[in-house]
Amino acid sequence: MMKPVSLLGQGALATLMRKEQKMRKSAVVAMFGVAALTLVGCTTAEDTTSGSTTDNDTSSDSATSEDAVTGDIRVWINGGDTPDSAREYLIETFEAENPGSTLTIEQQDWGGLVEKLTTSMSGSDSPDLVEIGNTWAPGFTSAEAFMDLSPYFDELGGDDLLPGFVEVGTFDGTFYAPPYYAGSRLVFYSKSDFAEAGVEVPTTLTEYVEVAETLNSELGTSGVYFPGKDWYNALPYIWENGGEVAVNDGGTWDAQLSSASSIAGLELVKRAMDSSNAAKDGDEAESWVAYCEGGHSMLSAPSWAAGLLVPREDAPCERSADDLGVFALPGADGGAAQIFAGGSNLAIPQASQNPELALSAMKIMLSPEYQTIMGNNGLVPALTSLGDTLGEGEIPEAVSAAAANSKLTPASPNWADVEASGVLQDMFVKIASGEDIADAAATADAAIEDILNG
Amino acid sequence: MSLKQIVPSRKAKPQSRSRKNLGWLLLVPASAVLALVIGWPLINLIILSFQEFGRAQVFGADIEFIGFENYSNILTDDGFWQVLNRSLVFAAVVVVSTMVVGTLVALLMNFVPKRIKVLVQIGLLVAWAMPQLTAVIVWGWMFNTEYGVFNYLLSQIPGVDFYGHSWLSNPISFFGVAALIITWQSVPFVALTIYAGLTQIPKEMIEAAWLDGASGWQRFKDLTFPLLRPIFTIVIILQIIWDLRVFTQIYALQGLGGLREETNTLGVYIYLTSLGSGEFGLGGAIAVVMVVLMSAVSAFYIKRTLEDMDN
Repeated sequence: MMKPVSLLGQGALATLMRKEQKMRKSAVVAMFGVAALTLVGCTTAEDTTSGSTTDNDTSSDSATSEDAVTGDIRVWINGGDTPDSAREYLIETFEAENPGSTLTIEQQDWGGLVEKLTTSMSGSDSPDLVEIGNTWAPGFTSAEAFMDLSPYFDELGGDDLLPGFVEVGTFDGTFYAPPYYAGSRLVFYSKSDFAEAGVEVPTTLTEYVEVAETLNSELGTSGVYFPGKDWYNALPYIWENGGEVAVNDGGTWDAQLSSASSIAGLELVKRAMDSSNAAKDGDEAESWVAYCEGGHSMLSAPSWAAGLLVPREDAPCERSADDLGVFALPGADGGAAQIFAGGSNLAIPQASQNPELALSAMKIMLSPEYQTIMGNNGLVPALTSLGDTLGEGEIPEAVSAAAANSKLTPASPNWADVEASGVLQDMFVKIASGEDIADAAATADAAIEDILNG
Repeated sequence: MSLKQIVPSRKAKPQSRSRKNLGWLLLVPASAVLALVIGWPLINLIILSFQEFGRAQVFGADIEFIGFENYSNILTDDGFWQVLNRSLVFAAVVVVSTMVVGTLVALLMNFVPKRIKVLVQIGLLVAWAMPQLTAVIVWGWMFNTEYGVFNYLLSQIPGVDFYGHSWLSNPISFFGVAALIITWQSVPFVALTIYAGLTQIPKEMIEAAWLDGASGWQRFKDLTFPLLRPIFTIVIILQIIWDLRVFTQIYALQGLGGLREETNTLGVYIYLTSLGSGEFGLGGAIAVVMVVLMSAVSAFYIKRTLEDMDN
């Protein structure tokens, strides 16, 4: 926004500088330009409202028709998460099953995608099949942006689909968005640090925090690297102590962060954060860089980060590959903790011109063959029966253990707003900085209820 | 010696009627473009601000006119007033610091040898040309809690320990860092513009004033500033507008640290309300309030300048 304005200012000012006599007139002319540009800067926020006519006549029933429909469909895949082999398989299989039709994959950036999806899916040029971040799903399903897929639930995988993701893709009893894949958070640790401090891999959440405290006091390292804004990694503490972020109480959301159970979890978070040398208001982005620096004994991170925690060609690392250990975050009573489930869902926009073909492509993407490719590439498959496609070894085992017990944020259409407001980050930063836990939780509860019920 | 005697007098040229008409005619294309690219979105924005318009409406739900509800919602919301006050105070601080530093740099450039002047200009241009986001990330790293060079340097002073100090978690020092980044990037525009104006002041006038025994401050106050007043006016307006609706720097800094709720400014607040929360109607109403506010600022200065011209 700054650039065009400054260019105009510059042009007008170049005129100004020619002669003092001309200065005043030019200044006034330029000022009208300025006044006008003031307005431009403020109107950009509503760009997405144009062309909001939606095609509602793409009823889902027509998708069952046996007539051979041909067309060219566009599929939006986000970021580089989906491996190339899966993309090739999708295109080849789709075009073989639907002679005369073509499928084009258009890769999107994750950043700013909610806005882009809102704009594109409301216009006449909508993509036919989209991948969405799982926590965004309710924001779109509640706005009726997607086609109703309830009749095809069994064909798409049925009860074999990751249950948490099916729940988030369902709104008001209607199934809109099946899972695509899940990510999983694991705890990575330095075996040599564990040996030096004389600690073992913990089996309960409390033990885990105690191990972190021991590592911190014995070695001076971060027991667990835990920056203040890392709310994804803080949620399991609340859930494992029986707390919730918010529960739906007869249509009204009741925020639960200041309940006794949640406070017990937050106190444990505080202890873990106190064992950390990470910035109290830092975030978890690039946490592998911090781990590789060597001052942190444990790190909770997405499973795909494993490859970044060892020396690489383009990045040195103080930690050797042999030194890297991994386990699933332990729960309160042993076993794997309920962790925050990252990942994606798939959906067919209401405005799609080719819903039948989009459904055909979606079925391919949820087929055991396609999901096996995903599993082989380290992504948790959408079908729970394919868990073993992740392979053998420490990391895949930890991934399966963690993913089996994953949990999502409250399934409210307004949840994305809670994330956008930063209220959870603010709360954990306050806790990390030593403010009163009950106060911070009560403030957050009020803000969350305001957003979810607003 | 009064200013009137220094400034060469202007002679008004009588204009013929057809020339005047031609002038109006020549304004038509520019006005048409402005009406299209600025007028139309603005009208839409105003309409939007009177509607209940959320994500559901984006996807085709019925749009309802709700009168002034969006406006009464924001005007009775404490959060909005906090954001507005914060934005006004922050913009005032940044405008003043930018103008003072920028003017001083411009005056300095007028005195230093040519080679140094070129060096300063290159430095200024580089700072100006740097993308805002890049600038915030670089500055953010310098103030980083764990690895920041500021914490390191400050800790070199005996008896001072800044290791692990978080600059962004306290809202006051958050805005201190933000003000530093924005001032750093705004000074080049101000300095180069004022410097360009300075080069147009006839050397003889300065010399005459100097011979009459005027001090440096007097020469600036009574000669340079009045001559460059139109430039100062427009630069100040531009700075007020840019600083009042500042977005990139604050939004990016919030990503690096700090408490979001206590550091939102108007631009960020509109973004979060409209695109983050999908409440386009409410965001539209806040945007309209901002347009009115900034138009008022601009109108005030335009009026002042017109009055100056009449004198």
